[in-house]
Amino acid sequence: MLSDPLSKYITGGVAALVVAAIILGFVVVPIVQGSTAEIDPWTAICRSLGIQAGSPARRTPVAKTGARPVSDVIWDKATLERLNHPNREVGAQLAQEICAACHGQNGVSPDSKYPHLSGQSALAIYKQLHDFRSGVRQNELMSPVAQALTDEQMIALSNHYASLTQGTLDRRLIVEANPQVDRLIRTGDTARGIPGCQSCHGVGAGGPMETPTISGQRRQYISTQLHNFATGARRNDVFDRMRGVAARLTDDEIELLARFYAEQ
Amino acid sequence: MPIASERDVLRSEFRWGLLTAAAVGLIFLAILTAALAWQINPPSNVELIDPKTLHLSGEFTEDNLGTQVQGDSVTIRMIASQFAFLPRCVVAPQDRPVTLRLVSPDVIHGILVTGTNVNTMVVPGYVSQVHTTFTRTGDLLMPCHEFCGMGHSQMWATIRVVEPDAFTPDAQGRVACAQR
Amino acid sequence: MRSVERLTLAHLWAGFAAFAVACVLGVWQMWVRSPLTAPLSTPDHYYQSVTAHGVAMAYLLTTFFVMGFGYYVAETSLSRPLPGKGWAWTAYVLSLAGALTAAIPILLNKATVLYTFYPPLTGSALFYLGLVLVVVGSWIWCALMLIAMGQWRRDHPGEAVPLAMFGTTANAVMWLWTTVGVAAEVLFLILPAALGLTQTIDVGLSRTLFSWTLHAIVYFWLIPAYIAFYTMAPAEAGGRLYSDTMGRLTFVLFLIYSLPVGMHHLFMDPEHATGFKFLQMTLTVLVAVPTLLTVFTISASMEVAGRLRGGTGLFGWIRALPWERPMVLATGLAFFMLWFGGGGGLVNMSFGMNAMVHNTSWVTAHFHLIFGGTVVIMYFAIAYSIWPKLTGWQSPNVSLQRLQLWLWAIGMMVMTLPWHYLGLQGQWRRVATFDYTNPLIAPWGKWVVFSLIGGLILLLSAALFIYNLAIMHRQPARKATTSQSYALALHPPHHVPASLNGFRLWNAVVLVLMLLAYGYPIAQFFINPAPGAVVHRVD
Repeated sequence: MLSDPLSKYITGGVAALVVAAIILGFVVVPIVQGSTAEIDPWTAICRSLGIQAGSPARRTPVAKTGARPVSDVIWDKATLERLNHPNREVGAQLAQEICAACHGQNGVSPDSKYPHLSGQSALAIYKQLHDFRSGVRQNELMSPVAQALTDEQMIALSNHYASLTQGTLDRRLIVEANPQVDRLIRTGDTARGIPGCQSCHGVGAGGPMETPTISGQRRQYISTQLHNFATGARRNDVFDRMRGVAARLTDDEIELLARFYAEQ
Repeated sequence: MPIASERDVLRSEFRWGLLTAAAVGLIFLAILTAALAWQINPPSNVELIDPKTLHLSGEFTEDNLGTQVQGDSVTIRMIASQFAFLPRCVVAPQDRPVTLRLVSPDVIHGILVTGTNVNTMVVPGYVSQVHTTFTRTGDLLMPCHEFCGMGHSQMWATIRVVEPDAFTPDAQGRVACAQR
Repeated sequence: MRSVERLTLAHLWAGFAAFAVACVLGVWQMWVRSPLTAPLSTPDHYYQSVTAHGVAMAYLLTTFFVMGFGYYVAETSLSRPLPGKGWAWTAYVLSLAGALTAAIPILLNKATVLYTFYPPLTGSALFYLGLVLVVVGSWIWCALMLIAMGQWRRDHPGEAVPLAMFGTTANAVMWLWTTVGVAAEVLFLILPAALGLTQTIDVGLSRTLFSWTLHAIVYFWLIPAYIAFYTMAPAEAGGRLYSDTMGRLTFVLFLIYSLPVGMHHLFMDPEHATGFKFLQMTLTVLVAVPTLLTVFTISASMEVAGRLRGGTGLFGWIRALPWERPMVLATGLAFFMLWFGGGGGLVNMSFGMNAMVHNTSWVTAHFHLIFGGTVVIMYFAIAYSIWPKLTGWQSPNVSLQRLQLWLWAIGMMVMTLPWHYLGLQGQWRRVATFDYTNPLIAPWGKWVVFSLIGGLILLLSAALFIYNLAIMHRQPARKATTSQSYALALHPPHHVPASLNGFRLWNAVVLVLMLLAYGYPIAQFFINPAPGAVVHRVD
């Protein structure tokens, strides 16, 4: 293959350049950089290869760990698998025995204080039940209820309500919004750093896994939750997602949004 | 009109090739010099972390975020998630080396800090780490610069650079912005 | 009309149709981002449009153009019928079906993941399957190019493969290497997630595999433009190609340097270490070389033409060139835009400076200028040049072609120069809504509007381009008289070394370079896997 001089020159040239780049990039540069940061040469080289963490040019700060979590729920493969395999009879039975008293037959709540559950996302219900049980979310009615439930029961209940297609909770929007609300739900407010509600709560939004369906929900419930997030009374939204949004909405906007989503 | 012989053609091409090699070599040398003299590297930090359990325990739980001083190192820890940074405002001292550490619990995000050389992707599964020194005081805008979903345009944070006298850590070494 | 003409026309019209739609979307997108009020300006529509615009411009315009032009070059430069025309039509149908299949979920807002697919954001499986089909069709094209060149070489032992075909086949070889990255990402990582077979996805590995494709693909787009520079422009100018050898060398250098450099798209990523970024940065510096060589060789070729036409003095030959010929004009405009686009590229690939521009409007400006400007203007020129041979009709009004080219170049400069500036100011990418009340952002507004004006000029140019092609399909166009011919070299090669007449050596070099540059960076994801990120469905 290397029969002609041109191919020898090019191949040789490329080889020389690559060797130079390797020596410079993996040895010379890391060692020189490391020396100014008092990182020993071997560590610097390991960092430049990526077999150790950190930059070859700067010391890495020591991480302090600790602190309590805002929610115990993690969306890993195991949890998602279990949520996909519920015990359906248990779910229906428990819903009737335990939940229907407040949340109504088939998850359609008769009382404006209690949220509809019919058609809600299974992941959303599961997370809230879990958080009630662990205490990171507190409610005098729900906390004792949840504490009495096993994980398998929570999974069954979550899937039971998710499978009910009464059309009560449904992400599709059917009533149009006035311009102010429309802007808030679709675009949000860039100046305040509020994303549009639909960017998580909409169909196919691709937002956080536990995002509940809010269109069709009880107006008073939505309003109460937003106020609770705004004051920090409710803080089981992971990484401040809803607290940050709610704290930046005005009271008027909260009422408008609650009304809008309740109408859907 | 005399037309160059094939030899002349190749010789002129060769000379131009030398010029090209010199120009390209100069650029390469400039980059190498910056790397050696001022330790200028793109941010790289092959440090694995589980995006699914960030909120449970460890370095990036909610209470551990923000600016923290340990000894003489200043570390700013932030979460980049759909669709906000946490904290939305952090304080940094002027003219001191600062390390930013960011993680994502969900999708790819990215940050730049306007007017500075801070720029990094935040990839779920990894801790992004950027070393810098802020030279100017003021509120710097730190937007999310990578598409992360519908709320991407509304995702931004503030880095408040304060003069060294105004940078006063509390007993735990923490410094926070006045308002949320 | 022989069937290669029908084949080429079918491909080019498919590409240009996607292009036309994408131009309209692009202008609307700029309107949305500006301080002016645009209709339907919500994020879901905006990102849907960004996805469609990116897919159409980056995958459809380009692939169909390269394939169509390649078939044409294979038959006309080798002076023999294209082998396997049935396969070529099959490939066309596959790619077209794939494009339409991908378009449906985009239109239904079930694939708003942008053309760069950002996993763990995951769209409808149909979207990815559609794009896979487009690529499979292009692989058939690659095979046909290799077969055509191979057959010719067997019948012409020891002779130099015509330069236009050598470049085309180099492009085909490079494309086969290039698509490995994205094919692996889509087939093994994204499709399983999209089909619900996996719940988490390795984001670092996905990004790395995509980066493999992401840089080399721009050379796949660019090589037809360079084929025009080397084999069409000198003839159109009335001269000769200064050096056939340098042409071959250029295509070889693109083949070896376009692939092991993709990590410069990941400079700001945490998952790769500085050493590998440095190595790929060095190789990226080298990929500037073939372009710089080309600038010299083509300028020299133009000088030959200019002096043959009576130009004297140091620069008199420039004025003597036949600028009224669209191909010559386009070459000049392309070279002008190349200085800016290429210069910007040198900033992007630099270790330290990349941090100043990554994910800012500078990047958007760079690739619109270098690809949308330098390369696409040559696509126009190629189309104008070969259309009469394809349809049998000449244009009745070549000045409209020149006008269209000028509008394109001017529009591109007006659109991208402000973007470069705004990028340096810190304006970031993929934003549907800017807060123009913010005192930092407010001054950007007028420049965004300026860019929008550039976009409108481009839209006008695009419409004129379609018109200029359409009128070459019927009377009152004049009957075409010339057949395809390629530029002769100043010293036509009697014998070229094997290394400049085939690709065996260079495939070996690419393999070694890829192993060094991407070997461990990919292996690390298997040796020490990062915890997967949960799939976020957008469909």
